[in-house]
Amino acid sequence: MDVQTLTYLIVGATFALYIGIAIWSRAGSTKEFYVAGGGVHPVMNGMATAADWMSAASFISLAGIVSFVGYDGSVYLMGWTGGYVLLALCMAPYLRKFGKFTVPDFIGDRYYSQTARTVAVICAIFICFTYIAGQMRGVGVVFSRFLEVEVETGVYIGMAVVFFYAVLGGMKGITYTQVAQYCVLIFAFMVPAIFISVMMTGHILPQIGFGAELIDAAGNGTGVYLLDKLDGLSAELGFSQYTEGSKDMIDVFFITGALMFGTAGLPHVIVRFFTVPKVKDARVSAGWALVFIAIMYTTIPALSAFSRVNMIETINGPDSTGVPYETAPSWIKNWEKTGLITWEDKNNDGNIFYTNGEKNEMNIDRDIIVLATPEIASLPAWVIALVAAGGLAAALSTSAGLLLVISTSVSHDLLKKNLMPDISDQKELMYARIAAALGVVMAGYFGINPPGFVAAVVAIAFGLAAASLFPAIIMGIFSKTMNKEGAIAGMVVGLLFTASYIAYFKFINPAANVSENWFFGISPEGIGMMGMFVNFAVAFAVSKVTTKIPDDVVAMVESIRFPKGAGEAHDH
Amino acid sequence: MARLWWITLLLWRTRLTKVAEPLQQYVNAITPALSCSFSDAPLMAIDLEMTGLDPTSDQVISIGLVPIINGEIPLAKAQHLMIAINGSVGQSATVHGIVDNQLQSALTLAEAMQWFLLQTKGHILVAHHAPLDIQFIQQQLIRCFGHAIPLVFIDTLAIEKKRRLQQQDFLQQGSLRLGASRARYHLPVYSAHNALVDALSCAELLLAQVAAMGDVNKLTVNTLIDVRG
Amino acid sequence: MDASELQPVEQFLAAHSPFDSLPAEVISHCAKNITVGYYSKASGFVEFNKENPKLYIVRSGAFEVRDPEGVLVDRVAEGECFGFSTLLSGEKVVNKVAILEDGLVYHLPQAIFVQLRAEQRSFDQFFTRAFAKRLRNEGRFKAKDLTTTSRITAIMCANPIIVQAHASVIDAAKIMREHRVSSVLVIDNHKLKGILTDRDLRNRVIAEGLDTTTLVTQAMTVNPITTHANALVFETMLTMSEHNIHHLPVVDGCQVIGMITSTDILRAQRSQPLFLIGEIGRQANIDSLIQVSKQIPLLLQNLISADARAEEIGRVLTSVTDALTRRLIELNQQILGQAPMAFCWLAFGSQGRQDQVACSDQDNGLLLAHEPDEFAAAYFDTLTKAVCKGLDQCGYVYCPGDIMAQNPKWRLPLNQWKALFKRWVVTPEPKALMHASIFFDMRPVFGPMSLFNELQDDVLASTKDNDIFLAGMAGNSLTESPPLGFFRKFVLERDGSEVKGMDLKHKGSALINDIARVYALSAGIKEVNTAKRIRALMDANIINRKDALNLADAHEFIAHMRLANQGYQVTHNLPVNNFLKPHHLSSLLRHQLRDAFKVVHDAQAGIKLKFLRSF
Repeated sequence: MDVQTLTYLIVGATFALYIGIAIWSRAGSTKEFYVAGGGVHPVMNGMATAADWMSAASFISLAGIVSFVGYDGSVYLMGWTGGYVLLALCMAPYLRKFGKFTVPDFIGDRYYSQTARTVAVICAIFICFTYIAGQMRGVGVVFSRFLEVEVETGVYIGMAVVFFYAVLGGMKGITYTQVAQYCVLIFAFMVPAIFISVMMTGHILPQIGFGAELIDAAGNGTGVYLLDKLDGLSAELGFSQYTEGSKDMIDVFFITGALMFGTAGLPHVIVRFFTVPKVKDARVSAGWALVFIAIMYTTIPALSAFSRVNMIETINGPDSTGVPYETAPSWIKNWEKTGLITWEDKNNDGNIFYTNGEKNEMNIDRDIIVLATPEIASLPAWVIALVAAGGLAAALSTSAGLLLVISTSVSHDLLKKNLMPDISDQKELMYARIAAALGVVMAGYFGINPPGFVAAVVAIAFGLAAASLFPAIIMGIFSKTMNKEGAIAGMVVGLLFTASYIAYFKFINPAANVSENWFFGISPEGIGMMGMFVNFAVAFAVSKVTTKIPDDVVAMVESIRFPKGAGEAHDH
Repeated sequence: MARLWWITLLLWRTRLTKVAEPLQQYVNAITPALSCSFSDAPLMAIDLEMTGLDPTSDQVISIGLVPIINGEIPLAKAQHLMIAINGSVGQSATVHGIVDNQLQSALTLAEAMQWFLLQTKGHILVAHHAPLDIQFIQQQLIRCFGHAIPLVFIDTLAIEKKRRLQQQDFLQQGSLRLGASRARYHLPVYSAHNALVDALSCAELLLAQVAAMGDVNKLTVNTLIDVRG
Repeated sequence: MDASELQPVEQFLAAHSPFDSLPAEVISHCAKNITVGYYSKASGFVEFNKENPKLYIVRSGAFEVRDPEGVLVDRVAEGECFGFSTLLSGEKVVNKVAILEDGLVYHLPQAIFVQLRAEQRSFDQFFTRAFAKRLRNEGRFKAKDLTTTSRITAIMCANPIIVQAHASVIDAAKIMREHRVSSVLVIDNHKLKGILTDRDLRNRVIAEGLDTTTLVTQAMTVNPITTHANALVFETMLTMSEHNIHHLPVVDGCQVIGMITSTDILRAQRSQPLFLIGEIGRQANIDSLIQVSKQIPLLLQNLISADARAEEIGRVLTSVTDALTRRLIELNQQILGQAPMAFCWLAFGSQGRQDQVACSDQDNGLLLAHEPDEFAAAYFDTLTKAVCKGLDQCGYVYCPGDIMAQNPKWRLPLNQWKALFKRWVVTPEPKALMHASIFFDMRPVFGPMSLFNELQDDVLASTKDNDIFLAGMAGNSLTESPPLGFFRKFVLERDGSEVKGMDLKHKGSALINDIARVYALSAGIKEVNTAKRIRALMDANIINRKDALNLADAHEFIAHMRLANQGYQVTHNLPVNNFLKPHHLSSLLRHQLRDAFKVVHDAQAGIKLKFLRSF
């Protein structure tokens, strides 16, 4: 069977699995299930959280970034993981105690102001929206390769699939569907990684293979370590050394910070902590989620390195001068169809050649690295098909959650609570669906005309979150003096500052997007953290000169932090 | 009250002149209607489609009649009549959508006027911008019977103008047109235009105007009517 | 010379239901028969011509139909109709139609309407449906005073004692003695000739010294006053008092179908709720209470036959249960002595919500003012055991889940009740919540209100706006959905090969109770009765007015269907349960039921969106 048939089969099978689970969990009346003493096991919940958490960006793009950028790319890894820990440990328990389901509701109540809630809703919508745009690009890449169509067409197909999945499918939000999605995506990610690791280093665990010496075809050690080899190749081709960073320390620091604090402010993951009835279970499942996330994140550097070596070697041939186009491996031609790899025979020798600088003839989109890895390493066709299914699982699970946040925020928080309080349930539902459709369409637009790579787009979403919601949440929990005026001003200024900085370098004047022009040398991906500082500063300044916060709010804040007999009431 | 006397006088005056018998009967028949309350009065909304606007030279192509009985419009009694004319419909065909061959089954002018007198006998006529239609009718009567008679009518445009001027000093150009007037009373927009639909539009407008004046039961018809000798 | 150019009218009709489904020539026929009227807001209401009912088709403007009590029944705007209720039912116009916005209305004469209904199926369907919907909106099942509005046939004696006209008075007297009645009907050739009473025998036979062989026809009251089969009890009472008589033959045409006496009416009144509650309060010992409680099933039957609103029935039956509980507590306190501290008897679940139907099982608890010492604990243990036992003997069987005041788990001081509720709210585990949901429908039956208020205020303060708890509650209430499948077909439950039907309780009423509870807790509303909760939510603008009215209607309708079905099951000797088989229903009722379930379905989607942020 060829790759394409297998892809249809495996993607079809995973979809059938999700639908099957949805039907099963609906039909087998959950009521009896609950009464039977069931409930969702924390391990399961952890997997579901991990699926929610690991988007197409993690699955498709992260390894690509690390692979191309090397050490610098790992800031994404650190930022996201750190953010998750911050969220799970420092924020979720307090928010939970407050009894609020969504971040805007928390902000609205904590800052005793409908305006604050509305501002937070707008921030949340903005963030989710940017995040989805990244997912769309990812889905588009997957579809374009495996259906052998242009990326744009792939995005259109992806839009339709995501929309139906999120709005009409009835599969979203079911824990067991997400557990299945996690299993599919982690399997899809690990199988090629293990394959390559075994092939190149003889170690089953890619994490170990990462630091091991390479082996030759006969299985004997060559004495050359993977990273040394990669550094050598990079140097030879004029790239900066793989293990050497090229970014400013300060930029790395800011990107990591933006990702971390942004993660903590992301609306759709926080909800996961609230759907578990017991605080203790929530903590345990957060721990499990971290484990499940770590499985993938620790594999990413290894996979990146393997595929980098592999890629350079297959393109440039054993003597590093390039191989003739006619004899070039089929994956290059396959991906050329999608427009994500282009070859320009600059020296007219009929050979393909990949290097840094003028002589480079290959233009390779970073987002394809995970998807193409099995092909580059000549792995069996079913592995290639599996990866497609994994990429879709990652994109679907995340975008469904995000679309729900967007659409319910628009219909309930914006329309019902602000503009049309007298709206009927059916209308509200209709507006929610319309909002979801609009969200998909606009996200699709940015998926077709991306302002950066998948991970970079997503990073912008995190930056916005870091600059707007995160400070409001933190000050809401930990400050007894922060008033509504301060919080609103902080959110607005933080969001505007960050958004305009990004818009300037990404859309208005992309040519100027070099480190010399950056503010303190901070890239648009990292400006969110600066936005966060601005937010804090503005908020404190404004709160100092405006009215004191009401006493009952002070009492409320105190009770969140120092619960009196709340939290988990002892059983008796 | 003085107005009623004036109208009666005008009508009575026709007895002095020698008027054809059917016309005299027509004039006599209107008298009982004059003292009715609005809801009891026999009213007939009319609309004429003409080849032009000059009563002396242009001809009537069709007549729409829509009665108002007890403050309601029975559509069963609405009627539409085509009149054969000399020459072609010409330019006005584009306005009325009536083409020459439609007029072939039409009545002659004399037949038409007899029909008109029969149908509207004892009724107060209602039209929007009524003086024009009244002049045309009278001109046709002259052509058929040799002389005109005074006709009693209600002009919805005049009513509208009066009502508007009570509310504001300045009237916008075109604000008294049938369509514009109807819009002020939440009356629907009719896309089709012929004598019948326009007569219906006019009848509906009158109902709306009267309803807006307040207590319909106390309203007498003589406050609305006018006469033209 | 015809009116075939009435295009605007025809076009308008052709664009609106139900005329849109009619052939062009029929529309043209309609248009020709229409009269046009204009209604101005200044005149306030549409005046109806009683002799000449018409269908009113709104061409422009807006109208509001209100029932005689001023309750909104329908809003009518362009392209919609009113006046059809009268045309369909033939009843007098009772509703008022207010003019909200000036507008033009087409009047379609009754004759044309009748003709169209006869000839055009879709036209007929449209209006029967609209009428059915209207009926629900009008709150057809209005609260009625039982004695006045139940039908005479429900309480009359159906097989009257008769004698033939050629019988002698002594034969008649023997028959009366045999049947122990004070009157007989005299029949000749199946027709009622007269009535012979004890009084007639005394006054016209014995006092006159007539022979016992005298024919009954000589002694009887000729052409007696009768009442007809459709008469209301109220009317019959009136007839009796007007003529100072105590026996009334009931006739249907010329046929005698029964006899009603003032004793029958008195007996019917005994099962009236007020009478029953008064009776309960008067009983001096537990045994006599048990005797009185035997009348409760009869009360239910009477309420159903009087076509009372299901909500009223629930309230009436619950108030009887409340009275019974109170009396049991008082009687036991007379034995045990004064309570050592203030306490409150709490009713949960259906008794709390005031929607008890037949004899339900008991769900109750005890709220103590403070921690009891050993003596107090023993006192309340004895008291609650006695009361629960008494309730059981009165037909309110022990709760299978042991949620009863006699269970020490549910006999707690105020602070422990508070902690218990707090635990449910803070840790909304699905399993715990499913059981706990009945506790949130609590109502004090006995004891100081202030004690109860302190608990309820505390509970509501913790649930109000607590999104996480509410999400748990909402999630729970969504585990069941109304029995509607694709294409709005009814989904029937099957038990092996046996068709059980639709569970109107668990897939109908209970879902609405759940929905109202989630909303009420989210808004801190104190009401526990579902209808009252919905009304309060509507007034607080938490549920959209239209949604709230629909939900309240659906609640009433489903509950009514459930009661009617149980009535059917009783009369057909079927096991009484909550399952309704839809083929027992007329197509009109099926349609209405479907509408009601659709409302439940939509309301569920609403709470899913609001509280679970999903759809």
